[in-house]
Formats: sequence, structure tokens, C-alpha cells
Amino acid sequence: MSSSSTSAMDWEAQYAAGVFEANTAALLRSGKSRKSRIGSLALDSDDEDQDITMASASASASARARPASTAPILDTRQDDESPISQLTRHWINERHAPDILPAQEDLLASLLDHIRRQSDAVQLLRGEPSASEEEHIRIMLVQMEVERVKFIVRSYVRTRLFKIEKFARFIMTDTTIQTRITTAERAHASRHAHLTDRHFHTSVLQSLPETQSHLDDTPIFMPPMITKPDDSRAVFVHALRDCPPIRFHEDLTLEMKRGHISLMPFSFIEQLLVRGDVELL
Amino acid sequence: MSLPQSLRTSITPPELEFIASQQLIEIIPLIAMEKTAFISGAFGPLQPPRRAKIPLWIAINLKLKKKCHIVAPEWLSVEFLQSRLDEELSEPGYSRLPFRYAEVSKVLLDVASDDIQNTDKIRSLLKDLREARQAKSREGLEELNRSELSLSNLSSMEINEIRPFFVHAMGILTHLHRDASTED
Repeated sequence: MSSSSTSAMDWEAQYAAGVFEANTAALLRSGKSRKSRIGSLALDSDDEDQDITMASASASASARARPASTAPILDTRQDDESPISQLTRHWINERHAPDILPAQEDLLASLLDHIRRQSDAVQLLRGEPSASEEEHIRIMLVQMEVERVKFIVRSYVRTRLFKIEKFARFIMTDTTIQTRITTAERAHASRHAHLTDRHFHTSVLQSLPETQSHLDDTPIFMPPMITKPDDSRAVFVHALRDCPPIRFHEDLTLEMKRGHISLMPFSFIEQLLVRGDVELL
Repeated sequence: MSLPQSLRTSITPPELEFIASQQLIEIIPLIAMEKTAFISGAFGPLQPPRRAKIPLWIAINLKLKKKCHIVAPEWLSVEFLQSRLDEELSEPGYSRLPFRYAEVSKVLLDVASDDIQNTDKIRSLLKDLREARQAKSREGLEELNRSELSLSNLSSMEINEIRPFFVHAMGILTHLHRDASTED
């Protein structure tokens, strides 16, 4: 068992190291068309739904606002983790976390830019009439990957959008959560909160007595009417590196070693998650 | 709504398969292809009959077009799975299997069963492993408390399977504790 198991476990080492192989940025940029400017990120296909345009708009705004080199949001592990696996990790984290996680504007901006460059290259190559069958397969694979990446981007943005709409009123009252979302997302939350407020008011609240006609009442024995993220919800955590001990209560602490998988309430690992020490599964 | 109801509580098995397809796998190509810059990295060149490592989704795609043979990973063999099954039945913890073994083995058995030896035996071993591990998960529920439950070596598909029940159960335990402490 020992000899076969060691080689078969190569991939576990790979997984622990960030799953996918690192890229050389030079190769990625060797596409035929390099007309890209970060400022114009609009995706060209016409089936993009609104959430994508929202993301790209905010992403391009941030890309213009500050140079890419000073990006404190991006974690330090980008050397050994490709942008795609980073985004996949953030996507899965976002899907499982009960709260909204910090936005990954720079990562998203660079990936959207890359998608656009790849699409341009495909368009260019498609125009060549003399393409062989091999060349054809190659173009198709590149095109297919673009669609796969778009899927991840879409699902990621949609997940955030869902949470933002769900917690819209809470976002407007809480300043810490506002630091974790983009300007575009904040504007959306504000519009959404305003619309639902008005709707509730015209349909029900205005006909109730004055003491009961507010959405932010805190009646006793009743849950509050503003939906808040439930930090106590349990999540499955995977330690990407050795973590400092977590203290649950007086007589229970846990020190997670790299590779450890555990189920625990979200509030205990939120900091570790933001620092990139753990990922959600 | 922005996210369909079915996607809100958990990730779905097709999505797990999607993620697993980003892993690299070895193939024996039947066509030549230049080195190509993908968004996830540069892969190739493919030169038959030289082996190459490419993402699983590309391998599946080429395989369906009969343009390559997939080299089954070493863990997808009767000897390896049998040894893990023995370990699974004799040891209390979960045995060490690749984290996404369920997804990868399903895809490979579906698409490339002619490149794998003893597929019937492998299928039945995978099923036995799954059942043995499932039984352990159910027993593990006894140890659930409100703060933490360690589940090392559990695979992604298995986590997804127990997620709704375990998360709900832990939520209830937290509530019970909170209620008890406010009454004090």
C-alpha cells in the first residue's frame, strides 16, 4: 500500500498547495491581440445579464482609481495560485458564508480583462480561413474555457447580489459591512432597500397605527424585522495552513493544522477566512 | 431573484464536478496541438504518443472526440481502492482518499471506461467505500456539539451530502444553549 499511496497522494499535496499549477504571466499575455485597455471591460456578447455589467462597471472603476500593484485586498498567495483558482476559492467561500465577504474587485477586474483578451484572440483566429482541424479544436477549447470562467464570474457576482438584496436594509444601517462591498454594490443595496421600504409602506404599513408602522421596530418576543447575517451558522472549514488556536469557550480550544477539515460556527473563523488561512468547503 | 432557491443553501453536485474538472490529469494524445495559453495557464504542446498533463475538462472533451486516451490516476485502481476499503473497515477514522475522488472517478468511469482496467470491480469498490464512509458520518453525528466537529479526510461530495442536516443540527444545538444560558 505504501508505495502506491505516496504517489497517488501527489495530488493532495497539489490540492493543499492551492490546487492548480502556477502560471507564468508572460505566457498568458502572449495572445495575438493585445489591444486591451483596462478601462473598457464591457463584455461583447449580448447575452450578458445585468449583474455582469454591474460587476464590470465597478471593477473598471476601481482599476482606474488605483494602480494594480498596490492591491491590499488580494492575498499574498497569488504567486502560487492562479487567478482562476483564487476566484474559484472566493466563489465557494461566498457561496457558503452566511455573511458578505470582502469584495475582490482587483481580481475580478484582471480576470474580466483577461476574458476579453482571450475572446478577442478567438475572434481573430476564427477569421483565418486556412485553419486546420487541430487548430479548430484548439480554438474551440479556448472558447470553452472562456465560457467556463464566465460561469464562475457570474455565479460569484450573483451570490453576492443575492446576499446584498437579502440584507439591503441591514447594509444601510451597518458601516462595517459597507467596507466589504463595492461602490456599485452599495448603490444597489441602497436602491433595493429604498424600493422595498416604499412598497411595504404603501401596501401595508401606512394603514397601521403610528406605533407599529416602522420597519425597524423591535417588538419583544419577536425576531427583529431587519434581516441580519447569521454568524452562528455552521460552515465546513479547510485549513490551508497551520492556524492559530481558536477558542470556543472556557475549556475548548482547537488548533487547526494544515489540511484539517472541521465543522464550526462561521463567527469563529471569519478572521481566518478573510486572511486566507482557511477556505470553506 | 439573483440566485435560484436550489443554489442558496449549498453548492450542487454538478458545480462540484465543474470545480473538480479544473484538476490536471495525464493523457496520451492522438492529435498534435501547439502549446496554448489558456486563462488558467499554458498547456501543451500535445505530441502523440507523448504523455501530457492537461485539465480534466479538456481531457474529457478530447476523449469524447476520440482524440486522446486518458491515463487513469493511480488511486483509481483495484489495489489502491481495496487497500483503502480494508483500512476504512478496520480503522475508526476516514481513510485518506483524494479530496474530489467521487467527482473525478464518476467522470472518468462515465467518459473513459475503456481506458481504465477492471471498471466493474472499481465501481463496486467505490460503492463499498462510499457506504462504509457514510455509516461513519452517521455515527459521527453523535459527537456533534455546538462548537466544533473535526472531519479530516472527508471528501467534498461527502461533505456536501451531510451539510444540510449537520448544519441544521448544529444550529439547533446553538439555539438550545443560548436559550439555556439566558434563563440562567
